[in-house]
Amino acid sequence: MSSSISDVRKGCVIKHQGDLYVVTDARFTNPGKGSPFVTVKMKSITRGKTTEMTYKPVDDIEIVEVQSQKLQYLYKNAGFYSFMNNDNYENYDLEEEIIGDSSKYLKDGMEVYGSMFEDRVVAINIPPKVQYKVTDAPPAVKGDTASSGRLLKEVTLENGLVVKAPIFIKEGETILINTDTGEYCERIND
Amino acid sequence: MDYSLTTNMNHIYHIDRNFSKLQTRFAILKLIREFLWQDKFVEIEAPTIVALPGQEPNIQPMQVVVKDDKKKSFKGYLHTSPEYTMKKMLATGFEKIFYLGKCFRDEESFGGTHNPEFTMLEWYRQNASYYDLMDDLEKLSKFINKKLKFNNKNIAKKWKRQTMKQVWQEFVGVNLDDYLDSKKMCQLCISLGYKPAKTESYEELFYRIFLNKVEPFIGKDVPTIIYEFPKVMASLSKEINGGKYAERFELYYQGIELANVYTELNDAEEQKKRLQSEQKTRAKNKSLVYPIDEEFIDALKTGIGNCAGGALGVDRLIMLFTMDKDIDNVIVLPMSKLFNKEE
Repeated sequence: MSSSISDVRKGCVIKHQGDLYVVTDARFTNPGKGSPFVTVKMKSITRGKTTEMTYKPVDDIEIVEVQSQKLQYLYKNAGFYSFMNNDNYENYDLEEEIIGDSSKYLKDGMEVYGSMFEDRVVAINIPPKVQYKVTDAPPAVKGDTASSGRLLKEVTLENGLVVKAPIFIKEGETILINTDTGEYCERIND
Repeated sequence: MDYSLTTNMNHIYHIDRNFSKLQTRFAILKLIREFLWQDKFVEIEAPTIVALPGQEPNIQPMQVVVKDDKKKSFKGYLHTSPEYTMKKMLATGFEKIFYLGKCFRDEESFGGTHNPEFTMLEWYRQNASYYDLMDDLEKLSKFINKKLKFNNKNIAKKWKRQTMKQVWQEFVGVNLDDYLDSKKMCQLCISLGYKPAKTESYEELFYRIFLNKVEPFIGKDVPTIIYEFPKVMASLSKEINGGKYAERFELYYQGIELANVYTELNDAEEQKKRLQSEQKTRAKNKSLVYPIDEEFIDALKTGIGNCAGGALGVDRLIMLFTMDKDIDNVIVLPMSKLFNKEE
């Protein structure tokens, strides 16, 4: 399938010089000199090699259709992340590299979408917003403005992730996090 | 106060999250002014709404409609750079001037290394060439590095200065002299495995190779100035080397372009020709087309002398010091926080 550069996203699979690559990062730039382009970081599915390419709007980019499969995250063991397909109970142990930056947002039992290519998981897509229980929220200290302003504090979430949240957030509460930016969105009232 | 009763405070939390970076931002803005004032520059103002914006083919101005007291409408644009205004000022005798303020460019990404509304430092020196502006940039960055005690070792080192020809030799392995027209550059692209369209301009072809084979490798350790651009890529700058190249340079650091500087073209006829050619490219690209600012050409006819001018992306300079990868973190309220993209 021939596509335009704005279709290229993290997690999609593209054909490049006869090999298949999964996109690990795609940055769109309009440099003001020459036409806009997208810089794509991608990893070869067959050889694991990482490469970087820029594409212009006139370029044909061949995006390979991959199947999206709902997977459940189980646990991390010996450097591998285990997922299960709840439809057929198939297990997948994935390397850190496939998960990339998203690994910090994983929590036990969480549902994610896997990009499947020939029965292999080539990328993991985390929901854009995820709820987490706050496991540690120090009381806000007055005058604690060295690294931040006066409205946010660092809290620890159930999966160990540390984020900045409003000072009124207490331990045991549930908050919604934007997994694209790592930013607090809102408190979920039970 | 019960914060939980208010909205989700998207704006206020953004500011709070970046509190210390924003403090750094304003300290840097202050130092830029101090540095230039010490050197007897005058800070000027330029209208941000203009009737006739720049003709650069790949820069899109934002349209605005202004109504007078009788509700008669005028079509204007937010300036993409204060260049025309500043050159009109140079023609009347202003000598060393700078603009530190907002510029606007449409069809840019919200975040990353762009914000459609951004802060630019544009500065001009009379009786100077772009070599003087290379010194300005290096000294300014070192001044900020020292005054704010960043102690960034790479910025403190002596900066690298390489010609475009040298970096093509080093990273592409070819003599750029042999590839100064579209036909030759197109052949080079094909031989390197690209599939350019037949209609691509020299600049497009040049950047295909430059963006993939050169840019990622320059300015990795120390800030690097790349100078002497092929003439066709420097529409507002002075020619050198028998018309093959022009006095334009760009500053790169860690994969980001920070500044673009010229020894200014002061030949009105030549300038008009180049703007007409850019205007045609705009039409071909189906971009907005508007008349050439004839008073800008008049400014050159009146005489702007031998001057050099540059544009520095100030938000990006701040990112360099705060070590940020996302421009949003150094802007009070970036575009990405103003509109709800999900709507």
